[in-house]
Amino acid sequence: MLKRALFGFVALFTIGAAPAATLAAVAQDEKVIPAVMPTDGPRTLDPVRGSTTYDNMGCAQVYETLLQVSYYDNQRFEPQLLAELPTRLEDGKRYRFRLRDDVYFQNDECFPGGKGRKLTTDDVFYSWKRIADPANGLKNWWLLEDAIVGLEVPAEGVGFDYDAPVAGFVKISDTEFEVELTRPVFRFLWVLTMFQTSVVPREAVEHYGSDFGAHPVGTGPYVLDEWIPKQRLTFNRNPDYYECYYPAAELWSEEDRKKGLADAAGQRLPIADRIEFAMIIEEQPRFLEFKQGNLAWLELPFTYFGELFSPRTKRMNRESRKAGYQYRSVLVLDMIFRAFNMEDPIVGGYTPDKIALRKAMAYAIDHDEFNEVFYKGLCVQYDGPIPPTLDGHPENHRVEGAPRGPDLPKARALLAEAGYPNGEGLPAIRFYTNSSSVNAKMMDLLRRQLGEIGVKLDAQMVDFSQLIELTNKKQAPMFSFAWLSDYPDAENNLALFYSKNVSPGSNHWNYSRPEFDELYERAIVLEPGEERTALYVQMRDMVIADVPMVGSLARNRYYVWQPWLMNARPTPRFWSWFKFLDVDESKR
Amino acid sequence: MWSYVARRVLYNIPIYLVIVMVVMVMLRINDPVTAYLSKNATEAERSLKEAEFGLDQPFMVQYLDMLKSIVTFDFSTKSWYQETNTVGEIITPSILPSLKITLPSLALSTFISIVVGLIAAVNRGRLIDRGLMFVAVVGMSISFLVFIILGQYFGAYWLNGKVGTEIFAIRYDADRMTGFFVADWIKFYLLPVMISVVVSMGYDTRFYRTVIVEQTNADYIRTAKAKGCSQRRVMFRHLLRNAMIPIITRVMITMPFLIVGSLLLEVYFSIPGMGKTLLTHMTNKDFAVTQAIVAILAALFILSNILTDVLYAIVDPRVRLA
Repeated sequence: MLKRALFGFVALFTIGAAPAATLAAVAQDEKVIPAVMPTDGPRTLDPVRGSTTYDNMGCAQVYETLLQVSYYDNQRFEPQLLAELPTRLEDGKRYRFRLRDDVYFQNDECFPGGKGRKLTTDDVFYSWKRIADPANGLKNWWLLEDAIVGLEVPAEGVGFDYDAPVAGFVKISDTEFEVELTRPVFRFLWVLTMFQTSVVPREAVEHYGSDFGAHPVGTGPYVLDEWIPKQRLTFNRNPDYYECYYPAAELWSEEDRKKGLADAAGQRLPIADRIEFAMIIEEQPRFLEFKQGNLAWLELPFTYFGELFSPRTKRMNRESRKAGYQYRSVLVLDMIFRAFNMEDPIVGGYTPDKIALRKAMAYAIDHDEFNEVFYKGLCVQYDGPIPPTLDGHPENHRVEGAPRGPDLPKARALLAEAGYPNGEGLPAIRFYTNSSSVNAKMMDLLRRQLGEIGVKLDAQMVDFSQLIELTNKKQAPMFSFAWLSDYPDAENNLALFYSKNVSPGSNHWNYSRPEFDELYERAIVLEPGEERTALYVQMRDMVIADVPMVGSLARNRYYVWQPWLMNARPTPRFWSWFKFLDVDESKR
Repeated sequence: MWSYVARRVLYNIPIYLVIVMVVMVMLRINDPVTAYLSKNATEAERSLKEAEFGLDQPFMVQYLDMLKSIVTFDFSTKSWYQETNTVGEIITPSILPSLKITLPSLALSTFISIVVGLIAAVNRGRLIDRGLMFVAVVGMSISFLVFIILGQYFGAYWLNGKVGTEIFAIRYDADRMTGFFVADWIKFYLLPVMISVVVSMGYDTRFYRTVIVEQTNADYIRTAKAKGCSQRRVMFRHLLRNAMIPIITRVMITMPFLIVGSLLLEVYFSIPGMGKTLLTHMTNKDFAVTQAIVAILAALFILSNILTDVLYAIVDPRVRLA
């Protein structure tokens, strides 16, 4: 009886394994990148309706932008759909663009005869107009709002007229055009690296209607094969992808060259034949799948850091090295902070006593302890609002004289200077944060740290929508948020302190300094360079001196990958780097 | 009998209407559009979304629309999170994967627990009873999550490494499906089912033992024994039949959860079931899907209540007269 049962069990596996083995043999020559999304995947594959990292990950395989972040140097951008970098005219108020003339949309039934047609200037204008169309949700309108002359959201109830001309869009030919900006803003070029500004064909949008988000038709290196929402997303190589190549050896840094990243220089892109994304929410199955070799790379969850790395040296442990795993740590353009509402009658204001009160709290808060307790010590603490690696970020992450805790004697002295010796007379400060178990623990730690100088917190854990509503209405005296930069330019962070952006805008601390505004307006029209960096530093120091926030922390992400994955240089800054990846089957 | 059924249905209709209304009110306490749009959304975006999702309509209009979609099974509203799919397209394919875990789990755990409960009850006070109850209490005391984490680690990852072939998968993967239903079920679903059975056995065994012990003291059992019935006949013919009401209650209570699935198991094993769907769409502030699932769940509870009452009436005719 037992034998029969065992035989049945084995037979089932044999039957089950046979077709899989055959399939494996058929597909042996294919270079497949098994990847993972630590979530349920994208919400949509329509760039103008997307906003999350995972929308970006999906869209970036099929669609392309005019410019792209350079793979070998994530602080720079380079042409993607353009033949060359845009020409700056009229001191940056106008840009001239020249498209590559060998780019075709992927073959799709939306085109006559199913054959993809050539990319033209009209496609670029059409795609950007879609961002201003209320029918697309205006989710990404902030990218182009008040940027291009004549590009406006129509009045309520009026449909967007795609055929109406926009003054700022000047067509020269099918491959050349100019864009006139409302003011010379350098960040416009960074916006053109963002996936939301990808170029889509009008035929596909009109053909698929509301299902366009599930039928992407782009110019990118991969074509959508299958998308089972919340389970898998697969792409196959675009056989008609235009000629473009892996970055030349001289572009890579010495360090990257040593790692072999320049070895593929000159190879035609995309290198791999297929990308298979699996959606795995939980950390354990994700980690085990990686260990079992079923995933090519992984963004290592903090919880599993000790499994592959030495917590003390932050280097790979012997076992991981023996397994041949590779890794890269990337400092995220992150700003984790505790914020004050500068219009609040108790903690807000710009008078010396108010500044002293906020400084006292800054000296009482120990961000290193937060780092150790909640981030396994993997974060970098820095002064001010400019994240590491960006122009204006302080050397060694420190600014002389910046209020950085813990310095309790100084904190107590400042508290007395503010008129609240040992916290006497200071009412409990209402502090809002998003309700989650981690935030509850963070709140406990913050309460204890501030309690040591006699400052009491009235901690309020609220739903995220409530938190937004409270900050939008300027009703949260103190609160906690994090900001992840949209592009690697400190302007993105400094805009958060510009007085025209006060709540309900992104300046949730309602910081308002005419001197700051003046510096900001001068800086945004400048190209990267010493002059601009000097202005950034002045603004940074102004924010540090006024203490509208206590911070900051930037997370360090660790990416690990299998020994058989080649050319990997993972980054969270952009997601079209899969086209550079290769698979070395001999190392599997 | 039919009038009894009709009465039960009629009693429950107003309850359901109130439940749906309460659910809808509660889901609107914190503005769902603000939650969905997150930071920095403009007023224009907000009103646009409100209009798109019909939230600019008076509450009663929204309520009637909701009831209409439930009655007609028309869930053609677009999801907020997965914009290219309707609510129906999201919910429907999630039901079967959940049932593939919950149905076998329920059947197996009920059967095994009743058997173990019977064994413990028959041997009440003896070492075997104490041993079984000790194991049950230990099982109950350990978190479900611990069972899942250890089960997944040792049952899938460790075992696969030892055996050198994939017996149980770490996660559901349509790419690794073979097309043979039983083989695929064993590979992707058997481990979660086993974990689920182990977890529920702790509670169920203790419950069924208590029910059976209570029945063993009843007069009819003594009578049956006095008549000379064998122990087996007493247990299965007399005792088990009379213990059916609490057993039915317990099984029926879990019926709605068969559809909702086992949330944690589905998330850990990446099984695209209802539990995972609900969690995903709730955490992504998908008001449309959350509202529909909660309304469906409420309907299932009501239906299972009605069904329970009907089953009571079948196993115990006195109930019909009450």
